Amino acid sequence: MPFVEDPAQLSKSRLKSDLVAHHVALPPAASKKELYVELHLKHIDQSNCADFSSDDEDPVHDVVGEDPENATVLDPSALTDKDLKDLLLKHGVKAGPIVASTRAVYEKKLRKLLQSGGKEELNEAENAVLYSDSDEEEEGDENKEEQEEPEGEQEQTAEALKLNQQRCNKRPCPLKQNEWSSKRNSKNAVRSSEQTREHRSQIPAGISKVSIAQHSGLRSGVPSGSQSVVSNGCSSRSSQAFSITEMVVEMESRTSPTVCSDKELSHSSKQEHRSRSSRLLKEVEDKDIIVDQAVRYTPKDSTCVKDTKPPQEPENDILKEIFPDTNATPTGIYATPRRPIKGAAQRPIQYAYPKTPVSPTTLERREVERRLVPIYIQILVFFTVVYVLYVISVIVEDGSSVMPLLESLNQWSDSEEGSPALDETQDTHSASGEL
Amino acid sequence: MSSTSQKHKEFVAEPMGEKPVMALAGIGEVLGRKLEENGFDKAYVVLGQYLVLKKDEELFKDWLKDTCGANAKQQRDCYGCLKEWCDAFL
Repeated sequence: MPFVEDPAQLSKSRLKSDLVAHHVALPPAASKKELYVELHLKHIDQSNCADFSSDDEDPVHDVVGEDPENATVLDPSALTDKDLKDLLLKHGVKAGPIVASTRAVYEKKLRKLLQSGGKEELNEAENAVLYSDSDEEEEGDENKEEQEEPEGEQEQTAEALKLNQQRCNKRPCPLKQNEWSSKRNSKNAVRSSEQTREHRSQIPAGISKVSIAQHSGLRSGVPSGSQSVVSNGCSSRSSQAFSITEMVVEMESRTSPTVCSDKELSHSSKQEHRSRSSRLLKEVEDKDIIVDQAVRYTPKDSTCVKDTKPPQEPENDILKEIFPDTNATPTGIYATPRRPIKGAAQRPIQYAYPKTPVSPTTLERREVERRLVPIYIQILVFFTVVYVLYVISVIVEDGSSVMPLLESLNQWSDSEEGSPALDETQDTHSASGEL
Repeated sequence: MSSTSQKHKEFVAEPMGEKPVMALAGIGEVLGRKLEENGFDKAYVVLGQYLVLKKDEELFKDWLKDTCGANAKQQRDCYGCLKEWCDAFL
């Protein structure tokens, strides 16, 4: 067995991880490497031998050369770095560099993934089995019920009810459904024993007729025809899966619920004892309470017996029943508004809205601007200064033209003060002006 | 905000330089010695391992457990310490 390394050459951590992978109890943490080597030799090498012998096709030496894949299933530590990395990638783990120090970690991770991969498949299989079982159970119950209830219309109403409730309850509480159905089974079985055998023959014929009729009814889409078909068809299709076409048909039938309900009521009152039907209705009502509580569906319509209750009504009807006082808007009834409009009643307009989040640059800019002098004032000051400077330059450059101006100024000041000083100043000025 | 130990705060406050491996949060004397035996004698070597494992939390914690036998809390502390240090300085 050339590719199995001598355990003594493996590092302690690798020995440990190998032991863990083979579900061998680890010795205490501080034990020496020799212990690990011993355990490794004892357990792992044995299992390796077993694995090889169990290979049907290839003897040991072939496995080594040709099939690295098989080796990986056995022992990640026998993989090359590249293969290990590839395998990890296959399992969705993007591994970093596989270096001496990281190798152990990645091997461990791969082992975990391989084990968990096997477990996940098991779980999926179990789930599939569970679901299929539940479906079979429901079908079995319904078939039983059909045989045990040879009553006429009453049975149909009951089954239709059950069917509807099954449709309603299929997801939320299938168990409850089964309980109810079993209870009703017992009750109806008692009643059915009292009945004559006449009805029994009627039903199979009725069902077969109905199934054909229903199919045609579905295709043609005639509401009136489908009414009676649906009411009877509910019972026949009780064993079949829930379908959207049924919903559509039943919604159509719902358009004239009162008519069909009257029909059913009359049927039931005529053929069976009144007490039985009323008891059934009571039962039905009780169940309906549960149904309504469990799943928000059709409201309690006193006139319409629930045999034609479809599993799902358009939402408008439900809302209308729940809020009978609200006026219907053209687009539908709104239960609650989404967002109050600004400025509407009870929501006055805020003229000072809270500050919007501002970026730091704008904040800085605002700060700076606050400190600086506004620009208009700057321009004004600029022009004022320019004018003053111009005047001064003119005075300096060209004194002669400005002399009269100055003289007038001096005369004005002369009137206040003594004159001789002025003459002297005038002379000096003129002298400077000439210069 | 989870509470961090004094050691954690001290480690994360400055570049690790040549700090010993026992300066890491969660690594005491015993674990530190084990790490040193395995060749991880300085904190930066452990940092190197953390980076080579691509800063992956699970992998690093597993590695720490395998190498020095750290328990869950110690693993958590060490990982958090290194992570924060990297966020600050790397």
